[in-house]
Amino acid sequence: MDEFNDNEITKLLRLKRYEQPPPGYFDNFLHEFHRRQRNELLRQPLWRICVDRARDFVFAFNLGTLTSYPAAVTAVLVCAAVISLRIYQAPTPASVAAQNRPVLAVPANENDEWSLASPVATRVFNTRSLRNITESAQTHRSGTPRYVLDSVPVSYETTFKF
Amino acid sequence: MRRLSSSRALGPSLATFASSFAALASLCAQQTPDSQNTIAFSREVKDVFERCGKAVVKIEATDQHGDLSGTGFFVDPTGTLYTAFSVGGEAENIKVEFKGRKYPARQLMADVRSGIALLKADLASPTLPIGNSEQLEIATPVVTIGYPLDLAETPSFGMIAGFDRKCFGNYFPTKHLRVNLQPQRGEGGAPVLNLKGEVVGILLYSFENNSCYALPIEAAEKLRSDYVRFGEPRYGWIGTNVQEASAPVEGSRAVTTEVIKGTPAAEAGLEPGDVVLQIGRTKVHEPEDTLEASFFLTAGDAVPITIVRGNEKMTFQIQADLYPASKTRLAAPPPLNRAIPLNLEASAPERTP
Repeated sequence: MDEFNDNEITKLLRLKRYEQPPPGYFDNFLHEFHRRQRNELLRQPLWRICVDRARDFVFAFNLGTLTSYPAAVTAVLVCAAVISLRIYQAPTPASVAAQNRPVLAVPANENDEWSLASPVATRVFNTRSLRNITESAQTHRSGTPRYVLDSVPVSYETTFKF
Repeated sequence: MRRLSSSRALGPSLATFASSFAALASLCAQQTPDSQNTIAFSREVKDVFERCGKAVVKIEATDQHGDLSGTGFFVDPTGTLYTAFSVGGEAENIKVEFKGRKYPARQLMADVRSGIALLKADLASPTLPIGNSEQLEIATPVVTIGYPLDLAETPSFGMIAGFDRKCFGNYFPTKHLRVNLQPQRGEGGAPVLNLKGEVVGILLYSFENNSCYALPIEAAEKLRSDYVRFGEPRYGWIGTNVQEASAPVEGSRAVTTEVIKGTPAAEAGLEPGDVVLQIGRTKVHEPEDTLEASFFLTAGDAVPITIVRGNEKMTFQIQADLYPASKTRLAAPPPLNRAIPLNLEASAPERTP
């Protein structure tokens, strides 16, 4: 900026020094400012306005706090789902004879008395069970039956005695 | 000219026909023995299948794992049938599919030691003749008939591959037949037949890929005999434990290490250190032989036992007692449709009318 211009500007400022706005100018100043600002904003397309509003809304909050809420809600939902599955889909205990198979563990000579049972009931011998009766290699509850052919013997001998 | 051309065309075709005929004839001549053997085998298997298939049935039941399906076969005309323990041993609502109809069946006996079950359906049934598995040899051809998966009655052809007392270090209760044929799921309890159509074993479980194990029919018949006599299996024992001796005596390495007090063996006078030579009809060479003999002992029956004590050979007549573990019954509640027998012990009060 050269010296001429500086002098000119100084002179103009000096002349403007006594100029005053019309009465009531500052009373309406804020309202007029907002009106003009709104007019400027409304010149943009609607989608741009929405994006800006959303961005302003998000950044008005703490972003880290906002991200923790969905995670917490998801965790609670997953826990609730797991608990409800365990409660409502637990298998009902089967009331069949083989559930009493722990008798297999009774050693020989421990119980020499006859019990109240059918004369054709299954008897237990001093054999070691290879299979856990409560589990099966082909256990399933689908619509098709279990086609039986074992891959291990039901029992085998543990000692040479006769 | 035309005739000449036709005769010219006929010449090569005749030569081709003659050469083809000669090749076919020579091929037939080369393949005749094998083809005849194959045809003969096929005919025999087909014959066994047609004769015996009628007595083989599909068994459906329910156990704690859900529905199951296996195979069984009739051994008497009143509907008694053998199957595997895994099929009929722990199951309920047993049904036998025979001639397109399903008949209810009940369990007569189930034996976890041998791995078989005896069932009964109230119907007039064809029967399979009982063979002799002791006459089997390695490579004897055998046939099984079973119900694999949800398929129809199916024959399988194989051969005897061995007579095993143990597998992977585990001892069977008695010698088992190892059969080289490829069983499929659903064939548990199927009969193993010789080419005469006689049952020589009961298919119990598969072994690796192309083999299976079968219980010899003599072992099953021992249990059926027990059932007929006593209403239950009655394995016998005399009360000794046996181990392998460091040196054989009279060809036997089975030496008694313990004679349990109060048992028939103790009362008869057997002592630790006696070398066992024979139990009943079974000659003993190794301790494993006692398993075979023990399986066929029946409680209450007298059995001759030959031993060596020092330089003296002795034979005892010993009445076998009930196998100790047999006295512990399975504490299973009887099914609802069965009568509950009362156990009238000495302390029970007598009922008076």
